[in-house]
Amino acid sequence: MSVADAAKPLAWHGQAYSTKRFGVSITDCDSEPVQTPGCVQAHGALLVLRPTDLTIAQVSENSADVLGTAPAALLGRPLQELVGPAHSARVKAVLLQPEIERNPSYVFTHTAAHTGLALDVSVHTVDGVAVLEFEATGRDASEQRDFYALIRRSVAQLQGATTLSALGDIACTEIRALTGLDRVMVYRFHDDGHGEVVCESRRDDLPSWLGLHYPAQDIPEPAREVFRQTWIRPLRDVDGGLAELLPLTHPDSGRPLRMTHCALRGPSVMYTEYLRNMRVTASLTMSIRRDHKLWGLIAGHHYSGPFDMPYELRAACELVAQIVSLQHAAAEEREHAAYRQRIDSVQQQLVTQAAQEGGLAALLDGPPTLLDGLDTGGTALYHRKRWWCAGSTPAEHELDALRDWLSTRPEMLSRDRPLFATDQLSAHYPPGLAFSGVASGVLAIALSRSAKNLVLWFRPETAQTVRWGGNPHDKPTVVGPHGARLTPRASFELFVESVRGRSKPWLAVELEAALRFRMLMMELIVLRADQLAGLNADLARSNDELDAFAYVASHDLKEPLRGIHKYAHQLAESAGLLGEADHQRLAGLTRLTLRMDSLLDSLLHFSRVGRAELQLEDCEVGEVVEEALEMVAARRGDKPTRIDVPRPLPRVRADRVRLREIYTNLLSNALKYNRQATTTIELGWLAPHEAAAHPANAAWPAAAGAQTVLYVRDNGIGIEPRHLDQVFKMFRRLHGRDDYGGGTGAGLPIVKKLVERLGGVVWVESTPGQGSCFYFSVPTDDGPPNPE
Amino acid sequence: MIEPPEFILVEDSDEDADTVQQAALRCSTPVRLCRVLTGDACLALLQQTRPELPALVLMDLNTPGMDGRETLRLIKSDPRLATIPVVIVSTSANPRDLDYCYRAGANAYHLKPVRHSEHLQAMVEVLAYWLDRVVAHPNRRVLP
Repeated sequence: MSVADAAKPLAWHGQAYSTKRFGVSITDCDSEPVQTPGCVQAHGALLVLRPTDLTIAQVSENSADVLGTAPAALLGRPLQELVGPAHSARVKAVLLQPEIERNPSYVFTHTAAHTGLALDVSVHTVDGVAVLEFEATGRDASEQRDFYALIRRSVAQLQGATTLSALGDIACTEIRALTGLDRVMVYRFHDDGHGEVVCESRRDDLPSWLGLHYPAQDIPEPAREVFRQTWIRPLRDVDGGLAELLPLTHPDSGRPLRMTHCALRGPSVMYTEYLRNMRVTASLTMSIRRDHKLWGLIAGHHYSGPFDMPYELRAACELVAQIVSLQHAAAEEREHAAYRQRIDSVQQQLVTQAAQEGGLAALLDGPPTLLDGLDTGGTALYHRKRWWCAGSTPAEHELDALRDWLSTRPEMLSRDRPLFATDQLSAHYPPGLAFSGVASGVLAIALSRSAKNLVLWFRPETAQTVRWGGNPHDKPTVVGPHGARLTPRASFELFVESVRGRSKPWLAVELEAALRFRMLMMELIVLRADQLAGLNADLARSNDELDAFAYVASHDLKEPLRGIHKYAHQLAESAGLLGEADHQRLAGLTRLTLRMDSLLDSLLHFSRVGRAELQLEDCEVGEVVEEALEMVAARRGDKPTRIDVPRPLPRVRADRVRLREIYTNLLSNALKYNRQATTTIELGWLAPHEAAAHPANAAWPAAAGAQTVLYVRDNGIGIEPRHLDQVFKMFRRLHGRDDYGGGTGAGLPIVKKLVERLGGVVWVESTPGQGSCFYFSVPTDDGPPNPE
Repeated sequence: MIEPPEFILVEDSDEDADTVQQAALRCSTPVRLCRVLTGDACLALLQQTRPELPALVLMDLNTPGMDGRETLRLIKSDPRLATIPVVIVSTSANPRDLDYCYRAGANAYHLKPVRHSEHLQAMVEVLAYWLDRVVAHPNRRVLP
């Protein structure tokens, strides 16, 4: 039912339109002139008067049936001849009142001369003519009903409604009670124009249409326009037939009569066919307006024949529709306030939990969780380089790509409102089609300026969530000349197709709640940062204390140590009194003091390694190695030693003194722990790409992949696999205290600390009895070395 | 007026003071030594010794009360005392201590070895050098 093919002229092109003569088809109903149908419902008669002299300019062709006078006897004649001088004078008086413009007013009850039936007469003016409508009241002329008394209760109830659905329910129930219609529904028009049955009151034996969605085209734009202008629209009898105006256009102006405000306006062919297909026999429709927009409709259906809706009854229903419209904003505000309050309380609770438990995991562990605030199907939070998900969400690699895309959206980089929301992600982000089932709707807020850290909420595709309770095999629905399209089932199916890739839209109250949640999260993150800063300060303090301790150890412990050593020495000097065993004990005492002294020195050195400032420069590793070899020359002694350098060593950016110390320690160990006839030491290296290509194994650290790797390989005694993780620990020795020239067990811990200080890693591969290879890496970029 | 000592030893450890005394006995000429326990005592003594000044202040860095660093700074910032050679002996090889002392004007810095024989030998060499070999500042009149 789209706009007509532009090339094909409308059937009534160039002529005055009459529903009765032309009708429309499914393809051109958007062009149907529903406001000037040229026809009235045949149960009533309509006169068009010239306001000045009240002569009859046009009359519906059924005037003989309704009024007892044929059109020919009325056209051009004064009204007085039909209704008598008193009623004519009354019409003349009413026409002087300005409120009458486009606003039908009851003026009198006319008794048809030929039948004696009472006819309610109402009048309004439009486009310079006066319109008189004669409708059968279905009651005695003397009977008067007090509809105000009837609706007083309805009004009180409507005013007390706290939610939109309560308001709609009350409206349906009250209108049904007032009128006796078989079914009364509230349709809601969503932002995309599609409709949904949100409230319903029906005869018990009828199937429910609650939850029925239908595409926007089901209520075409011309029909919607009518409901922006008029509050109420009765159709007394779907099969009541149409009566055309004679003549079809005004004899003075040549214009068709605008019948927007006429209760008798003839219905569209499409509409009556749709109703007929649903076995509806009469209908009454009212508009619900919000801020000058058409929010929805209250629709009444009747299934048991024609339905008389006298003027007063319509007025009462119109009043209900107006009150619903007036109360609508307030009810929605109350509903949203309750929703907002619920979201806020959940979110407050979440952030409090996270603050107390000190982690974002608390947001998803629940209850409550992030899912419990906003009405969503899934949620994902990205922070500290990982995702935290709950509910139905896209896969992590899809989330990664979505995050990267979102971080380029200008909305997400906004300073005050870094928020992006859509109910149709794939329209903006085509890859989103792959996961539109769980995430057609996305609401995102940024937690950092670059929008790399964010919170996402997902809404599933509407098509996967809407369920119309209506039974597809409902007895049915007759199918009229325009086919099965004009049935609720077809409408629902068309609707489901029309919302592929779309979710329920995000409400303003939800966007605001997301932004408030963002503020809470930012506070939480800042709080955590403060706590971390506090921890860092504590750590720095304890490092300083450790340094102070090492200093005290080196001094205050050394002084008595020297004293002990001295007295042991002096005792040994004045030997005369002592036996051989005593001499040995004194020698042991002396040796122990010396050992303790070297332990204290190592401790002091170790504590200083991590703290001294680095002086980075480009170092020729070959030169550094030469210096280191000189420093360990004494240890080489007389033993045959071969130093191999397979290829020239590279140039690296490092602190020269510390690099030398690394080599001094490694070379010294290589020389020390060797029982071969000839000590062989290989000094080599791997460029970053070579290191990256190295076959992965347990010992080879991934972190070395982008760095220059240097190594010292020996043919020494090797290290048992079970000891491999011990060698870098402070004061851990694998051998007897005086084996292999003694030592404090501080060399490798100091190497590890130095390498890490320079931004690299150190590790070892070893085969007992065959030798060890110590690797360490050095960063290749000029970036700052590891701060720790 | 006190007869000025040839050198002042600032040392709170009796064992280390004893080692220095032993070293002094091994000098070729007898040495008049005055030992004080604290930096405060050292400064008080220097205020009283006039017009002559000692040939050497041999000072441990970690002394009770005013420590060696502060004592060194005060001596070297006093115009009258600044010319006295001050030699630091310490167990600390911390570069920060070395840097501080040399910047404050220390004339030498020696580590105290734990091994007694090494310690004694080091002290003999220090005394021999500063008391016999160096040419003293003119304000130190060598008595005949």
